[in-house]
Amino acid sequence: MDVLKQLLGRLHPIIVHLPIGFIILGLLLRWYDRKRNEFDHAIPLIFLWGGYSAVLACITGYAQYLGEGYTFDTVKWHLWLGIATAVFSFLMYFKFGNTKTFTWVKTIPIVVMTLLMFVLVSITGHLGGTITHGEDYLVEPLPNNIKSALGFETFEEKEIALAEETWEEALIYEDVIKPILNNKCVSCHSPKKSKGDLMLHNEKVILEGGENGEVLNINNAIESELFRRINLPKTDEEHMPPKDKTQPSKEEIKLIGAWIDAGHPFDQTVQQSGLEKELFLSFFPKKQDNDYPEIEVAQAAQDSIKPIEAKGIHVDPIDKTSNFLKVSCINKPQFSDSDFELLTPLSQQIAVLDLGGTQVTNAIFEKLVTLPNLTLLKLDNTTISGENIEVLASLQHLKSINLTSTTFEEQHLQKLTDFKGLKKVFVYQTKINAKGVKTLKDGQITIDYGNYELPQVASDSITY
Amino acid sequence: MDNLEGLIQEYLQREAQSKTRRHFIKNCAQGMGGLALSSIFMGCDPLESPKKKASMTFSERDLNPLATLAPPFSPKVKSVIYLHMAGAPSQLEMFDHKPELLKLDGQDCPQSLLEGKKFAFIKGTPKLLGPQAEFKQEGESGNWVSNFMPHFKKVVDDVAFLKAVHTDQFNHGPAQLFMHTGSARLGRPSIGAWATYGLGSENQNLPGFVVLTSGGNTPDAGKSVWGSGFLPSVYQGVQCRSKGDPVLYLEDPDGVSRNLKKSTIDAINKINKEEYAKYADPEILARINQYEMAYRMQIAVPEVMNINDEPENIKQMYGVKPGEESFANNCLLARKLVEDGVRFVQLFDWGWDTHGNIREGSVDLGLRNKCREIDRPITALILDLKQRGLLDDTLIVWGGEFGRTPMQENRGNKKMAYKGRDHHGDAFTMWMAGGGIKKGASHGKTDDIGFSGIEGRVSVHDVHATILHLLGFNHEQFTYQFQGRPFRLTDVEGEVIKEILA
Repeated sequence: MDVLKQLLGRLHPIIVHLPIGFIILGLLLRWYDRKRNEFDHAIPLIFLWGGYSAVLACITGYAQYLGEGYTFDTVKWHLWLGIATAVFSFLMYFKFGNTKTFTWVKTIPIVVMTLLMFVLVSITGHLGGTITHGEDYLVEPLPNNIKSALGFETFEEKEIALAEETWEEALIYEDVIKPILNNKCVSCHSPKKSKGDLMLHNEKVILEGGENGEVLNINNAIESELFRRINLPKTDEEHMPPKDKTQPSKEEIKLIGAWIDAGHPFDQTVQQSGLEKELFLSFFPKKQDNDYPEIEVAQAAQDSIKPIEAKGIHVDPIDKTSNFLKVSCINKPQFSDSDFELLTPLSQQIAVLDLGGTQVTNAIFEKLVTLPNLTLLKLDNTTISGENIEVLASLQHLKSINLTSTTFEEQHLQKLTDFKGLKKVFVYQTKINAKGVKTLKDGQITIDYGNYELPQVASDSITY
Repeated sequence: MDNLEGLIQEYLQREAQSKTRRHFIKNCAQGMGGLALSSIFMGCDPLESPKKKASMTFSERDLNPLATLAPPFSPKVKSVIYLHMAGAPSQLEMFDHKPELLKLDGQDCPQSLLEGKKFAFIKGTPKLLGPQAEFKQEGESGNWVSNFMPHFKKVVDDVAFLKAVHTDQFNHGPAQLFMHTGSARLGRPSIGAWATYGLGSENQNLPGFVVLTSGGNTPDAGKSVWGSGFLPSVYQGVQCRSKGDPVLYLEDPDGVSRNLKKSTIDAINKINKEEYAKYADPEILARINQYEMAYRMQIAVPEVMNINDEPENIKQMYGVKPGEESFANNCLLARKLVEDGVRFVQLFDWGWDTHGNIREGSVDLGLRNKCREIDRPITALILDLKQRGLLDDTLIVWGGEFGRTPMQENRGNKKMAYKGRDHHGDAFTMWMAGGGIKKGASHGKTDDIGFSGIEGRVSVHDVHATILHLLGFNHEQFTYQFQGRPFRLTDVEGEVIKEILA
């Protein structure tokens, strides 16, 4: 019997769609037919079927309620409204049909009846969906700002933002631990969905713990269920968060451990908690060291890139997040000063320019000045001697110039001290006779002269 | 009466004929309709759409599969040189300094270490074998380097060590496959194939992924370690040789001049273009492209593979032996290839399997010779890339397929002729150098005898994730659709090793 109850119950989600379909069809047909009166005979029949199938849905629904162990409170409204829908569907049949029973329904205005029918079937259906999929099923995919505008609680992905100057004043729980828990744990451990009866969204509930008791053990991370679970290998059954969810980083896990070891303080600042700076380093803003300036430029027009590529010159975005371009003449050794005009439409976007092995001369410097965002410049294996290189001093973002295997002359090196952001210059195999690395401008610019040597050592010639 | 029967006969025949025709046409219409419908459904399939989108963006790539592509994130390097010591070098004689092990030399290995472990050859209770090299802290970083690598100390501040890498394979073939394709079984693309697939290659005259071997043998796992797996075969590594013809079958056959070759290719391409006009199959365009590439390679490859024209001091620094097959030659070639825009250069050096069964395979003698063969070339490679400004956008990775045991091998429970160590995957050393790498870093620690990692353990997948990260990829998002699901180099694992990133 139980088997039948369960099986019947599980048919409920399938069967419910029959009355919904019939009723909606009846309503639509009624609306379509409001002036034509072509389907007079069909409409009552549809509602009759709607009523029958709704009864079937009620029976299977009741079986499911019994078979799957729902509490009455959860299904109460859905159950009563489902029965009401079935009854109402029959009433619609009597309203539109040629029957002599329940003639009183004929006196109710059609608009009232149809509207009521529509509202009933919608609400019942929605309540049913809520039981199977959960309260926030429809709201969940919405972006956070819309969610909060609609009055739903949101758990924002709050980034942990610490700064070199103020990290000690940050609040250990509020500014560090809470964002980690919010981003990685709270979506399943909150009033909405307290899996394992554990909630982690504020101090009180964290201390309360879950169905297996407390999750924090004073001063001992390893003994604390919270840390133990996070710290287990991802493959472990008990590991949290579950394998397919976003995982906390190694640094975040370490920090949670250190916080528990320090007695899981909720109100202290980072300094008061006594945790070491090293634990927080990865949350400091990262110094970006990209091959392009930290500014935004407009995207280059595809029309201006195509003709350049047609000449055999590579033009590629440096990465997909940026509009800055890398231009390389590796396949076009014939490139000469006059070809530079080709690149003019991309002057704002070029950040990396490789003219190594081309025909360019000192005259190229005058033209390179028109690339305000140039960051890396390669002029190796050319006939450049460095004459006039000083004009490039106006390029604020220029970080590195490669001049290896050119005729670059020592006298032009000093001019580089006027370059504002320059960091590296490579002058191996030039007219300069020096070796190793030297710096200019108090160490700001590294000049690599190369000519490294590996003198023989005794063991070089010993065969064991 | 006869007349009537004749009429009936004729009627039946007519009916049969017309029915056949109608039947035929009806069937046709249904068949055609079905075909049309199936294509419509295919277009509508929501599961199909991401794949379709991908093929749209790559359709231009079908014509030129090595066209350069921008990585998703800001890349730190544009090329990779991967130095693989095939056979597995002993970390205990090179980089992992274990003074405790020296004190325990000759003692029985504790049973607790052996329980549940599988070794390739070790049987019963082996004895511990102390390090056969002397170690010193070198450079400003103070990282340990043994006296087997006297030149390497010059560049120790440029590299970042991974001291506790682990693998789950203990035989050469599967371990090499795992190290290069992320899977111990055949069929996955190698790292170099992934890199060229994702980024293309800059130099139109050279392959994007070049493999050079030395040591007299190719890796045990065969060519699959530089294969393309399920990626289009154009992304597999091209094996070049430093001795003889750089690329086999690239030379024109006797009696075929370059002009004749050119007109042959032109004729073939003309036919292919006509075929393309007829069928519009992008595979045909790819084929046209391959013919042209091979033709251009005939000039460019011998040029880049020629090390004779390098200046004498460079040849000396690397210790090259022109005309021979050597690791030193390959290192110099690796620099030249990277200089010319090759995306991925893979070096395999064979002969590191030091079991102690023969003199060449002993950790105190043979290993020392192997170290001498790579010490100078690797150091020279790093210095040479540096002075040319190339080290900033090249990543060098060094390692083997696993490490070696702190115990002396006792194959067949007998004392071996020489001092040797068995295969060991629990903890071994790798290092990386170049763009985006924290200079002089050392991540991970092994226990007192170097048996297991006790801190900063990293897996092979982590190493892959880090290489992809430096090339500008998120290893979790860099996928290829195959057999109905997206595949990754790192499968479902891997974490970027941030500790060695600048």
